Amino acid sequence: MTVTNSNGNADSATATITRAVPRVKTLKELAAQEEREKRFQGGHSLCAGCSIPVMVRSVLNTIDIPVVVVNATGCLEVATTRYPTTAWNVPWLHVAFENAAAAASGVEVAFRVLKRKGRTAQELGFELPGEVRVVVFGGDGGTYDIGLQALSGALERGHRFTYICYDNEAYMNTGNQRSGATPPLAHTTTTPVGRESLGKLQQRKDLTEIAVAHHVPYVAQASISHWQDLVRKVEAALRADGPSFLNVLAPCQRGWGYEPCLTVEIARLAVETRFWPLYEVVEGEYRLNALPKKPKPVSEWLKTQKRFAHLLKPENRHLLDELQLQVDREWEKLLRRCEGRVLEV
Amino acid sequence: MTTAIRPESLPPMAITWDSTRVNKTGSWRYLRPVYRDKTPPCHAGCPTTNEIERVLYWVALGDLDRAWEILTAENPFPAITGRVCHHPCESRCNRGRFDEAVGIREVERFLGDWALRAGKRVEPLVPKKSNKRVAVVGGGPAGLACAYHLARLGHAATVFEANPEPGGVLRYGIPNYRLPKSVLKAELHKLKDLDVEIRTNARVGQDVSWDELQRQYDAIFVATGVWKSLPLRVPGEDLKGVLSGLQFLKALHQGQGQPLSEELGERVVVVGGGNTAMDVARTALRLGKRVVIAYRRTRAEMPAIPEEIEEALAEGAELIERVSPTKILGEDGRVVGIELQKMRLGEPDESGRRRPVPIEGSEFVLEADTVITAIGEAPDFAGLPEELHDEWVVPVDEWGRVLRQKVFAGGDVIDQPHTVVDALASGKRAAIAIDLFLKGKLDRKEADEIRRRIELPQGGLSMRRYVEDPGALLLDNTRIVEYEQLNPAYFQKIARTPPQERPPEARVRDFSEVKPGFDWDEALREAERCLHCGVCNGCDNCFVFCPDLAVTRNAGADGRGYPYAINYDYCKGCGICVQECPRAVLELVREGSGEGG
Repeated sequence: MTVTNSNGNADSATATITRAVPRVKTLKELAAQEEREKRFQGGHSLCAGCSIPVMVRSVLNTIDIPVVVVNATGCLEVATTRYPTTAWNVPWLHVAFENAAAAASGVEVAFRVLKRKGRTAQELGFELPGEVRVVVFGGDGGTYDIGLQALSGALERGHRFTYICYDNEAYMNTGNQRSGATPPLAHTTTTPVGRESLGKLQQRKDLTEIAVAHHVPYVAQASISHWQDLVRKVEAALRADGPSFLNVLAPCQRGWGYEPCLTVEIARLAVETRFWPLYEVVEGEYRLNALPKKPKPVSEWLKTQKRFAHLLKPENRHLLDELQLQVDREWEKLLRRCEGRVLEV
Repeated sequence: MTTAIRPESLPPMAITWDSTRVNKTGSWRYLRPVYRDKTPPCHAGCPTTNEIERVLYWVALGDLDRAWEILTAENPFPAITGRVCHHPCESRCNRGRFDEAVGIREVERFLGDWALRAGKRVEPLVPKKSNKRVAVVGGGPAGLACAYHLARLGHAATVFEANPEPGGVLRYGIPNYRLPKSVLKAELHKLKDLDVEIRTNARVGQDVSWDELQRQYDAIFVATGVWKSLPLRVPGEDLKGVLSGLQFLKALHQGQGQPLSEELGERVVVVGGGNTAMDVARTALRLGKRVVIAYRRTRAEMPAIPEEIEEALAEGAELIERVSPTKILGEDGRVVGIELQKMRLGEPDESGRRRPVPIEGSEFVLEADTVITAIGEAPDFAGLPEELHDEWVVPVDEWGRVLRQKVFAGGDVIDQPHTVVDALASGKRAAIAIDLFLKGKLDRKEADEIRRRIELPQGGLSMRRYVEDPGALLLDNTRIVEYEQLNPAYFQKIARTPPQERPPEARVRDFSEVKPGFDWDEALREAERCLHCGVCNGCDNCFVFCPDLAVTRNAGADGRGYPYAINYDYCKGCGICVQECPRAVLELVREGSGEGG
């Protein structure tokens, strides 16, 4: 893996791009891992065209050693564990909406303690593996809002676990209510677009930056469309000796309003329009992971979704312009932080 | 669950042991994704229907044997077409819309040369011999291709060649620097391997009569080519020093290069803009002459392969555009110059090119010692029965058959473009037609059904489709995949690998080959650039993006040979696999429409 620094220049035009592909699992290897061990199964009741299982599969297939999954309340939890069935073929734990990170802390500590005490299979009733990885999956509701305090605590305490937020930008499981992740001006059932309102009036919380502020070894933003990048980030997160956090954009066809087949396409457009930049923060150092050669205007992304349909009306042109400005501003800020470091796979 | 956890050893909590797989979520579906290979544009654009996509696929994987087998099913002589073809495949290549077209011809040549070095032998496609005999009149590309395919289909073919050596235009037209004689000879060895008899110095109507052929053979294929140069029809054409392009090239190939060179003098003017004109010009350059090419339209309208024009100019030929000869000037019965009249381009003619219109009073004189004409060729029907041909061509039906008899025709004597690959294609078409004819199927409905199965959108007939079990054919031969149908998000820009070539000042000194051809690495790199438009290459995108784990990698599980199968018990019909298929193999059909099985 190589990272380049071109004189600390953050200008995208002069940044040096490294395309030397670090060794990440190939699609064939991911597929082979899944054939060996089906950790996640079909028959779940997530909607047709849901992005979440796409991400879950990639994550689980990246990990070669035993894994424990802790799930916050949300689409994934509800739709994969309808009693008496489960889509999970790994140890899986759900406690409540707000405490997935706390529950994961417990799993991680418990494993460490059992190891330290040298508990035998005889005593436990099962063989303790040499190593496990603790992975949390939480939606934006369970991560940005309800579970934030538990997440902050777990990050601060330094547990070795990986928290993966699938960000579909609203409470989709309960019918598309706004969350801290909902972008400004988006239509949700609690920020309806109509005569009196033009969608969500507030800003979006920058959860990735909040995680960075915990000074943990690895934080990254990823998208289900860029699977190679996602796989590499999962590998990097698992290697980190301490907490790691991934924020993965996960489009929702029902809540965002688009044809189910476009899930991956829309996630890709979010990156190409720089609405959702791919980047990572390794030991405090920022790196950009996708430098769109010809960045598209954010309207290219918005126009694919019904929740933003009102922004394309001529009378709302000023709102669209403002949103574009905001995306540009955030992008410039990110470029400054990356100081010319670009790593693309 | 296979772990040995005892529930009683755990604290109280809800534990689920059953799998969600009991929920057959396929019942949600109203659209159904199906795999359906479609015709890549290169495949359709190749007159002899080379399965370019599959060939590149296997070259990229390093399985040259397989690539060669697929290629030689359609094209007998890849080492030849890999050098001289005007590669319409590359003009149709969808990659040309993304960055640059794949260098298909160079890979074909690499594969052809590799097979010659490896001493590969072609085997018949059909194990049983038919004991039917077919006469092939003319040993050029069309005749040899027809004999090759007939032999592979189990029939005994005899080629009657008027010249001392077989090859036709490949031997007596195309110069050595484009197609070395050693390569030609090695490629034609395939016919010996297939027990094709080639009788040389056997001109029909002279050494063997048409009636004899009619009596002794079950079918006849006529491919005598076009060997008469069209006259300029200007005064002075009978002067010493006025040659036809074909005459010139043929004399050279028959080893009369030295005396010929002395006769030519210093300054050679070549009239014409086709491949013969380029061959003549470049050959004259190699004999140390100063060469001017005079063409009546502009370079853009020249029918020659663009690379040939480029290479001729790089080697020092001078091109004068928009001129037409009005008179050849002589002294003492010998050429001393040519009078040319300037032209302007008028309205497009039936060929779509703008018609040259003379500009009155614009005549000027160019000094010349020799004028070589290459403005077109016409067939020589001597020895063929009158009823077979009209003034210009042998008229044939869609199978290449003449007058519903046992006579078939192909190559330049029929109404089709005068190119090597079109000649090869017409030979193959006739071989298939003759095979059907000999089996008594040609005049039946069955022939139409077969044609529908084996014909590609641009009219080429596929031998692989002809000999393969219809149930095993995955490729939909009615639909071509265009660039708009691809998903370029998964392609990376990679520059085309330029073929190496000898510098013009070195190559113009001899008749050795201009390009050495790709090495292994170059061929591999270029083959890997193929986008595999419309044909599944097992990229795994559908597999990895399926939210319902309904795409399985069990090869051939659907019984049709795809690397994937869709488990319709779980597929919810979202269509992500269709959208994310980079090459438009997958498509959505309405559930219950009966399509897609």
